Amino acid sequence: MAEASSPGAPPAGASRGFGRLTIEVRRSVSPQLRIGALAGAIAIGLTISAIALVLAGVPASDLAQEFIVATLFDPTNLKAVFVQAAPLVLVGLSAAMAFRVRFWNLGIEGQMIFGGVGATAVSLAHAGPDSTRLVAMFVAAMLAGAAWAAIPAALKLLMNVNEIISTLLLNYVASDILLHLLYGVWKDQDGFPHSLKYSASELIPDILPGANGGLVIAAAAAALLVVVTARSRAGVYMRFVSASPSVAEALGVPVRPLVFSTVLLSGALAAVAGFVVASSQEGRLTQSFYQGYGVSGVLIGFLARNNPFAAAIVGVLMATLVIAGQNLQVFYGIPQSMVQLIQAVIVMCVAASDFLTVHRLHWAR
Amino acid sequence: MTPALALDAIDKSFDGFRALDQARFVANAGEIHALLGENGAGKSTLMNVACGLYTPDSGTMRLFGAPTRLSGPRDAAAHGIGMVHQHFKLVRPFSILENVLLSRPPAAGDGAPYSRQARSVAQAIAAKAELLGAKVDPRARVDSLSIAEQQRVEVIKALVAGARILILDEPTAVLTDQEAERLLQTLRRLARDGATIVLVTHKLADVKRFADTVTIMRGGKTVAELDPSQASIEELTRLTVGDALPALPNEQPHFGRRRLEALDLTVRRADGAPAVDRVSFFVRAGEIYGLAGVSGNGQSELAELLMGVRTPDSGLIQFEDSGEAFSAPRPAALRSDGAAFIPADRYRFALAGALSVTDNFAIAGLRRGRYGGWAWTNIGRMRAETKEAIRAFDVQGVRSLAQKAALLSGGNAQKLVIAREFSDAPGVVVAQSPSRGLDARATAAVHARLKAAADRGAAVLLVSDDLDEVLKLSNRVGVMASGRLAAEFEQPFDRQEVGRAMVTHG
Repeated sequence: MAEASSPGAPPAGASRGFGRLTIEVRRSVSPQLRIGALAGAIAIGLTISAIALVLAGVPASDLAQEFIVATLFDPTNLKAVFVQAAPLVLVGLSAAMAFRVRFWNLGIEGQMIFGGVGATAVSLAHAGPDSTRLVAMFVAAMLAGAAWAAIPAALKLLMNVNEIISTLLLNYVASDILLHLLYGVWKDQDGFPHSLKYSASELIPDILPGANGGLVIAAAAAALLVVVTARSRAGVYMRFVSASPSVAEALGVPVRPLVFSTVLLSGALAAVAGFVVASSQEGRLTQSFYQGYGVSGVLIGFLARNNPFAAAIVGVLMATLVIAGQNLQVFYGIPQSMVQLIQAVIVMCVAASDFLTVHRLHWAR
Repeated sequence: MTPALALDAIDKSFDGFRALDQARFVANAGEIHALLGENGAGKSTLMNVACGLYTPDSGTMRLFGAPTRLSGPRDAAAHGIGMVHQHFKLVRPFSILENVLLSRPPAAGDGAPYSRQARSVAQAIAAKAELLGAKVDPRARVDSLSIAEQQRVEVIKALVAGARILILDEPTAVLTDQEAERLLQTLRRLARDGATIVLVTHKLADVKRFADTVTIMRGGKTVAELDPSQASIEELTRLTVGDALPALPNEQPHFGRRRLEALDLTVRRADGAPAVDRVSFFVRAGEIYGLAGVSGNGQSELAELLMGVRTPDSGLIQFEDSGEAFSAPRPAALRSDGAAFIPADRYRFALAGALSVTDNFAIAGLRRGRYGGWAWTNIGRMRAETKEAIRAFDVQGVRSLAQKAALLSGGNAQKLVIAREFSDAPGVVVAQSPSRGLDARATAAVHARLKAAADRGAAVLLVSDDLDEVLKLSNRVGVMASGRLAAEFEQPFDRQEVGRAMVTHG
């Protein structure tokens, strides 16, 4: 509703001669304004971060060099950015889709683990010919992740179990299952708790020199989801569930099937991220390949406002930040916490920018 | 005499839309001052300026002669202005006491322990309730109260906060005849004690009977201020609407088969008491069946059962067309059988306020596959048909198809709902208080649409707290009392007899 107030305005009578800042709800928000606000917020966040880095001892003249030239124009670093971006985009999409149906999926890491487990099971079983092995691993990963996500989805829909708690706790269960496998039947012959190395046909190849196939998978997923959310019937249904579940239900939207299948999709996307990390970075199933992606996914989904196109962009930016941060750590001795600080500043700026897209400020006499 | 509240040359625009245009309003202490106008005339906007919710773009406000700028509703309360909004501003899971505590402006004794503050506020609530001639339990949760009781809490809240100027936005729209009568008598008494009562309304009868002065607004402008006893209803109507109202066609109805039938429907409240108790009735093709009753006697629960948003404990809803009988109907299944719903709680069951006008209109057609299959939606066609429907159903205030539905005024939001629900020639229509809060012209349009649906052969169930509306539109009338269907009436209706059935069985 169009409620407006003016926090911080001077008390009545004290404002004579001065204008007063008033805040109004906009009637509609154009996509251009949304994108502009997001870009502006990221720019402001980066500026603040740059100031913090300069204060921490990085010469100002080196900043642009480190962030832009060294990260994006150095082939090795650029490749690292792309390799890093693929799983980040995928977990961002996973979070964005689940959030669209008001399912707070904090179980991305558990679903990644199951993606890795599913793919590795295919690898260890040598299922099918070498030429289709990667496809089989991909499909197995999706199925395993969707199945793992089905548990909290069913618990929520059938028994009203809060998914924030169930998805979070199931991460620990998934991690224990992973360790059980890696210390047990899947232990490598070298005695270390990781799986056998994938064969060459089980590694995601580079599509172009410097561009890993994982990124192609992530980009294709993002493109598909852009179409689904913007143009498909399910996309409109999701908008209604997101805006008001009670209205959606009363208008005949199949809310429960929609929520269930979207959560499976979210789990499958996270699982593909797990498969991509295992197959293009680690080359095997390790104990910790999934760590940190859960929070990153939620963060990307939030920053992207659950929009798949924005999630792809934010995922790539996040990857850039990760790689640039690694360089800063190596070359300037900037602590890891500084990299986290930069991420936090950007998140806060984007979160605050939402206020300006929804509201209009103007001075009243 | 210095006016208690004087607003002069107030301008207010929303994102370029001029809601108030040099509006003027002057009310004196001790009077009931009606503010009359159609939906979207700017009445609520002007009063939101007076109660500090909106900052005007320009213009002056004087309270008892002193120029005043309000920084917000809390500041307004501190200046003795209280407002009872059409959509109550109550925290539903909180008790009455907690709601009053929450909204009370800063006062002496704020540092006292909570229990002492609570006790003094409870006493204040009791005192104000007595002033209103009512008894309230300060510990009752707001969501356990009827609409009329919630409204009373709003009035008490304002009075406890020390309101000398009390603004009520469409207060009688949600009340039954008897409740409205009582409220207006109470307001009379408050005015006699020196309070200034501003009554935002579109009910001409209330204005004639209770207001000492009336200010009329149209299109954001103040068009007249006069003594309602000196003006005829026709004159007030002309000033409000600007031109004549559309008249209802009067045709002889002929009824067909029973299209909708309720069989022994029962639903219990959380405490186990039946809210709807073994209710059976039928509605035939071409018929409007009205369900009347004092609010809180099970009509709203029954309407929700029939709309599929509440599950009955026992009983069946039967659709003759499809031959289907539902014991646990979902809205999707009912809609697939050709049912259309106009719920009273619009933003809970009919419109997603955060979504666009287009989404809200096109969702019905989309569900039926009108705009393409699952994979691809023809957005151009969605927009074109929404545009056409907005024109055909005279939905005003739509400046862009991407505009959020929440920004439509009540009457126009209702027209949008009706445009959508009637877009597929429904066989069964369930309408719950469809003209609540709507002005005369929008009400006439809604009534005409219901009549037209019945004339086309639909079975129309009209559930309404407004007895006049029920008697005017219905071919048959059922009366609900204490969850039972207490009586049924055929035309011609005896208003007295129907009214008696509403209260004697309760």
